[in-house]
Amino acid sequence: MQYNPCMKHKLIRNSVRHFAETELEPVAAQIDRNATFPRNIIEKMRPLNYFGLQVPKKYGGADLDSISAAIVVEEISRVCAAVGLCVTVHNGVAIYPLLKFATQEQKETYLPKLASGEVLGAFSLTEANAGSDSGSVETTAVKNGNKYILNGTKIFVTNGGVCDLALIFALTGSGQKHPLSSVFIVESNYPGFLRGELEDLCGMRANPVSSLFFEDCPVPEGNLLGKSGEGMKIGLATLDNGRIGIAAQALGIAQGALEAAVKYAKERQQFKKPIASLQTIQNYIADMATEQTAARLLLYHACSLKDQGAPFGCEASMAKLYCSSVAAKTTSLAVQIHGGYGYSKEYNVERYFRDAKVTEIYEGTSEIQRMVIARSVLSQLIL
Amino acid sequence: MLNIIVCIKQVPRVTELPWDEKSGTLRRDLAAGMINPACKHALEAGLQIQEKIGAMVTVLTMGPPAAEEVLREALAMGANRGILISDKRFAGSDTYATSFFLATAIKKEIPCYDLILCGAYTSDSETAQVGPQLAEELQIPAAAYAENMDIKGSTLRVRRLVDNFRETLEMEFPALVTVSMEKYLPRYTTLAGLENAFVDSNISTYDADALGISDNAIGRQCSRTRVRKVYLRKAQKENVILTGTAAAVVSDFLNKYENKISAAIGKTIEEKEPGND
Repeated sequence: MQYNPCMKHKLIRNSVRHFAETELEPVAAQIDRNATFPRNIIEKMRPLNYFGLQVPKKYGGADLDSISAAIVVEEISRVCAAVGLCVTVHNGVAIYPLLKFATQEQKETYLPKLASGEVLGAFSLTEANAGSDSGSVETTAVKNGNKYILNGTKIFVTNGGVCDLALIFALTGSGQKHPLSSVFIVESNYPGFLRGELEDLCGMRANPVSSLFFEDCPVPEGNLLGKSGEGMKIGLATLDNGRIGIAAQALGIAQGALEAAVKYAKERQQFKKPIASLQTIQNYIADMATEQTAARLLLYHACSLKDQGAPFGCEASMAKLYCSSVAAKTTSLAVQIHGGYGYSKEYNVERYFRDAKVTEIYEGTSEIQRMVIARSVLSQLIL
Repeated sequence: MLNIIVCIKQVPRVTELPWDEKSGTLRRDLAAGMINPACKHALEAGLQIQEKIGAMVTVLTMGPPAAEEVLREALAMGANRGILISDKRFAGSDTYATSFFLATAIKKEIPCYDLILCGAYTSDSETAQVGPQLAEELQIPAAAYAENMDIKGSTLRVRRLVDNFRETLEMEFPALVTVSMEKYLPRYTTLAGLENAFVDSNISTYDADALGISDNAIGRQCSRTRVRKVYLRKAQKENVILTGTAAAVVSDFLNKYENKISAAIGKTIEEKEPGND
C-alpha cells in the first residue's frame, strides 16, 4: 500500500473538525463574549496531541508534517480562533525554537511536558517600545554567578495569562552596531515572574493575552537558549515558523466565514428568492472562495519548503501576508452578506470579523511581511 | 488474547445527498466518505475489550479502493490491522452478496476469530441485515442491537434493547454482535495515531481472485435483490394554527392528530375524565 499524503491530510482535517465542532463550537461565542479561557476543553485536547503537533514521538508528540500541523490550526480556528491561537503559539513559537536550538538536556526537560500540554508555552518579544522594531528590546538579563537576572516588561503576550513557561528575549550585551539579545526559557514559578491584567481586546478574546513583568527574576544559566547574543537569529527563525501558524489560523477563520456566508446566502430570502441567486452575492462568494484556495496553496507551499529543509522565510511571510488579508476581506464580506444580522452577536460572522483583523497585525504586521518579502526578492540574482 | 474482527463500512458523510433527477440515483461522488456511525461504535466496543482484557482487533471492510481511508482511521483509533476486500466486480452487491463476500474473506484470512462486531445498521441504507446474514454464513450465534457486552472466559453476555424492554443474552465464542449507537461512544482520534496509521500501518487488500470467489458468485449473480426504482419522497408540510381556549385547542389537536400520535408512540391515547387532581 502506497503512502498517501492526501488521505492523511483529509483524515486529520476530518478528525480535528469533528473535535472542534463537538467540543468548541457550542461554547465559542460564549467564551469570546466573556473572555474566558476554556481550560476544560484544553484538558480534552491534551491527550489528542494538540500540544505536541511536530514534537518527535520520543518526547510524546505527534511528529506531524508541517501541512498536517497547519491543517490542525486551520480547523480549530475555523470554529474558535482564540483556541487556535493558543495552539499555534504553543506549538509554533514556544516549542519550535526548542526543537531547533535547545540542548539535549533542555529538550529532555521541557519537550515532554510541553508536548503533553501539561505545560503551556508563550513567546515574548514585544515590548512597549519594541513592536515591529524588534531590535529595540529593553528587557535586560545580567549574568550573576550561574544565573541571569531578568528585568523588564513584555506586553501583548499570547497565552500570557496561563503560560507555565515563556521564551523571553532580553539584552545580554552590546555588539558593534546593535545591542546583543538572547533568549531564555523562563518558568512561570521563578521568583520575580509576574503577570499583568488580561488585555481587553477586540478579538481573540478567549485567549488570555497579558503583560509579563520580570523583577530581578533569576534564570539558571542552563536555561539560555542557543548561545548568548543569538537572540535575533533565534527570534527571526521562530517568527518564520510562527507566520506559517498565523497564516493557517487566518485561513481557518476565512473558511468559517465563507461557510457561514454561503449558508446564509442560500437561506436568506429577499425579492422572493434566496440572495445566493443574486449576481452581486455570487461575485462576493466567487472571490472569497478563489482567494481562499490561492491562500491555502501558498500556505502549503511554505509548509512543504519547510519540510524539505529549504529556506521558507519569504514564503512564510507571503503566506502570512496573503492569508491574513484574505481573512480580513472574507470576514468583512461575510458580514456584508449577512447584512444587519451580520453586525449582530446573534451570528458568528461578527466574531470572525473581529478575530481576523489581528492576523494582519501580530507575528509581524502586513507592512513588515512586505518588507521581508521585498528584501528577499531584491536580493535574489535570478527570480 | 481474543481475536476480534470489526466489520466497518464507508458511507457518505452527508445524510441528504444531492439527487440526480435524470438517472434517478444518489450523487455519492459528491459526498466525502466516513466510517458509518454505528460501525464506529462497534469499533469502540472492540477497542474497549482490547484495553480491558487484551485483544487483536482486525478491521474488515468491503468497498472501492478509497475505502482504505476508513481502515486507516480505524488503525488510528487503535485497531491492529486492516483488511480491504475490493473488486470492481463486487459493485452493486446486495446485503446477501456482501455478507457472503465478507464471510469468505473471514474464512480465508482470519479463520481463528472469537468475536465479530458490526454496526447495527448503516446510515446510507439502514437494512441492518449484513451482520445477522454474516453470522448465518459463518454459522455462529449472533445478537443484534447490543448496548453492552461482558466477557467471562469464552462466554459473552450481551445486553440489548428490544422495544420497551432490555434482555440479556449469553453465548459462547465464536459469536457475532451488532452494536447499537446507545453506548460505546467512539473516542476522538489522536493526531499521533493518525500519523502512525500512515507510517507503519498494516493493511492488506484482496480482490475476488485472491479470495477464491468465482465469477458466477460475484455481484449481481450473487445478489438476491434488485433495486428497481429509487425516488425522492416529497415532503408535505402544512402549518395549522389552532385557536380558542386551551381546552378547546388540546381537544382539536387530539381529534386531528390522535391516530398519528398513537402510531408514533405505539399505544392508544386514553382520555381521562376531568377530576379534582
